[in-house]
Amino acid sequence: MTSGGSQSGERSATSVFSGDEFSFSMPSRLEYLSVIDKLVEGIIEACEIDEEPGIALATSVIEACTNAIQHGHKHDPSKFFSCRFEFASDRITVTVTDSGAGFDLDKVLVSDPTGPEGIMKSRGRGIFIMKTMMDEVDFSTGDPTGTVVHLVKFLTDGPGSGPGV
Amino acid sequence: MKLRKSEKDDVAILRLSGKLMGGPDADVVQDSVRQYLNDGYKKLLLDLGDVSWVNSTGLGILIASHITVTNAGSTLKLMRVSRRIDSILMVTKLNTIFEVYDSEEAAVASFGHKPTSEENKTS
Repeated sequence: MTSGGSQSGERSATSVFSGDEFSFSMPSRLEYLSVIDKLVEGIIEACEIDEEPGIALATSVIEACTNAIQHGHKHDPSKFFSCRFEFASDRITVTVTDSGAGFDLDKVLVSDPTGPEGIMKSRGRGIFIMKTMMDEVDFSTGDPTGTVVHLVKFLTDGPGSGPGV
Repeated sequence: MKLRKSEKDDVAILRLSGKLMGGPDADVVQDSVRQYLNDGYKKLLLDLGDVSWVNSTGLGILIASHITVTNAGSTLKLMRVSRRIDSILMVTKLNTIFEVYDSEEAAVASFGHKPTSEENKTS
């Protein structure tokens, strides 16, 4: 197997799918999270992604999809959320989109779920988990546009490669 | 998610399997926790050895159980967590709230396991 564009000549983690992208949509049922997790597990195996970035990717994709199902669509299976996977030589980008009412991102970001006031709360960790585990996370949210979450995980060493778990 | 219950002397063990991700899982876990508390158990263990992953909603279930048990004057600990679950516990700093043990033996021993009369006979 040859390099997917790495200047060092070493095979990059995602070279098997580099340049590819695909997307799908699913009804807003929590049970589909298991299906998505199996897909991500397959991607991790095919791309030979190391354990820590693999855990970060799988965990964060599940969080983004959980938010779409629970908060975006309020578990309404007639509403579909979408996932898009994009593969580059040095990164995987996942975009999760719902058509819900959106949320106040500033309000969510200001709370610290690991602090004394937040750590015993049963909710409010999803975005924190994504932002901690992924290298890049950004949100576009509003009503009636819904919420779009971009998750990026760099998979090779070098400039732009962020910390793992 | 599925849940099986077992007891080892005065320690109640709730063995979860599958994925802990919210929905009906919350009631299943909470109902079993409350049942053990009502039965007088003071030492509870959640066995996550067969749980493949937990999302943030699943973490909420663990926290709710911890609060229920602590408010009853009892203790809840975790055992046999996977590398993936350990990661999410570390990221959220919930590893500072939950005592986590690698094995059932270590977890039970951490409560100060009292040998049964049968064990005393053979030791």
